[in-house]
Amino acid sequence: MTLELQAFLLVWGTLVGLDLVSVPQMMIARPIVAGSVAGAILGDLATGLQLGVLFELFQYDVMPMGAVRYPEYGPATVAAVSTAHAAAGTLGLGLGALVGLVTGMLGGMSMSVVRRATARAVQAVAGRLEAGDAHLLVRLHVTAIARDALRAAAVTTAGLGLAQVVRVYFAGTLPLRGVTLLGVAAVAAAIAAATAGTLRVVGRGANLGWFVAGIAGGTVLAWLR
Amino acid sequence: MTSAPRPPLGRSLLRLFTVQGSWNYERLQGIGVGVAEEPLLRDLQAAGNGAAYRAAVARGAHFFNAHPYLCGLAVGAAARAEHEGATPNQVERLRSALCGPLGSLGDRLVWAGWLPVTSGLALIGVALGLGMGAILGFLVVYNVGHVALRWWALRAGWAHGVRVAAWSGPAMALVVGAALPLSTGYLAAGFTGWARGLLFGAAAAGCALLWWGRGRLTGLRYGLALLAVAALAGWVWR
Repeated sequence: MTLELQAFLLVWGTLVGLDLVSVPQMMIARPIVAGSVAGAILGDLATGLQLGVLFELFQYDVMPMGAVRYPEYGPATVAAVSTAHAAAGTLGLGLGALVGLVTGMLGGMSMSVVRRATARAVQAVAGRLEAGDAHLLVRLHVTAIARDALRAAAVTTAGLGLAQVVRVYFAGTLPLRGVTLLGVAAVAAAIAAATAGTLRVVGRGANLGWFVAGIAGGTVLAWLR
Repeated sequence: MTSAPRPPLGRSLLRLFTVQGSWNYERLQGIGVGVAEEPLLRDLQAAGNGAAYRAAVARGAHFFNAHPYLCGLAVGAAARAEHEGATPNQVERLRSALCGPLGSLGDRLVWAGWLPVTSGLALIGVALGLGMGAILGFLVVYNVGHVALRWWALRAGWAHGVRVAAWSGPAMALVVGAALPLSTGYLAAGFTGWARGLLFGAAAAGCALLWWGRGRLTGLRYGLALLAVAALAGWVWR
């Protein structure tokens, strides 16, 4: 993979990371968008869509309500697509998922670090904020956004670095059966995460009936295809 | 009472798109809400009431937490209250009172409603072969609702009044329910024989583990554990 492509992925991953919480939350951070665009950048839309769907299912396990901590799957999906691009079709799913899940975990931890840093910056100028200094307020806000952009870039860089290591050192060494097992594990975990996550939101009330009806309808559609 | 016939709602709305940029564990969204509210307070300063303007800006940046798309409602309502001469205590109480409802309303309406509905439709679209069209459709449809909600919230806050939709629960359950088997079929297309059987077994076991172990076990942890087991099994079973 050329340096130019890596640079494009880094820029895309940074924008995706910034979109998740800071600016503008238009959902390019959703894995299905982040992955498909990363695939298009690499000229491999099929892999991008596949990893995008996989991590979109993992995303259903995350409900960002209140101030909960959660993994960041946007830049993670970009790194996953970068990993899987080397191995065609289902062969790349497992390795991509491995890199993506580790990057997602790193992303979640990095958000916590940035939020603590912003809290310290707010504490340092609390007196001037209480005096109603509007310029300081805006500067503090813009600096925090820049801090989050740096964080997103660092997470994407780490993910792309990990993808490079996996591509170079692991991609060719696993036997076919091992690669298949990894792919099966990735898809099974994604389905389990999406089902359990959705069930938690749906609950045991009337919506459970709608959920079952949806599964039945989707199963019929999938069978008819 | 100070009248504000043409409030700069557009500028405030643009700033609201960045409302979570300075999210932190001290004031949560407070700084971002203060930044978004500040344009609506400027005519206090223009009217020669610099002290009221500075006090209102400071209050605007205090602790606040709600759904980011609905923060505009609090921004508009608090700015309006400042213009109408509400006491600092009343403004603080208004902000506190809005935190919980706007948080839970937005979480149900957007995070547990509009977003899974539209992304579920995108998953169905990809599984049915629509490719990039499904992704673009998701971005456009989702963001039409997203921007409309932000704009409505800000205007409603300025004008007072809230109404809630109750469609999101059943629609989300139906669409995500349909997306699950279709996505499974799409992702499992490359697996055959024993791999498919193993996949469904591991998915069912994982679902049960995640359901009963919620709070301790997450999808990410289950995924990493399963991948580790699979990698080990792959090395042993050559």
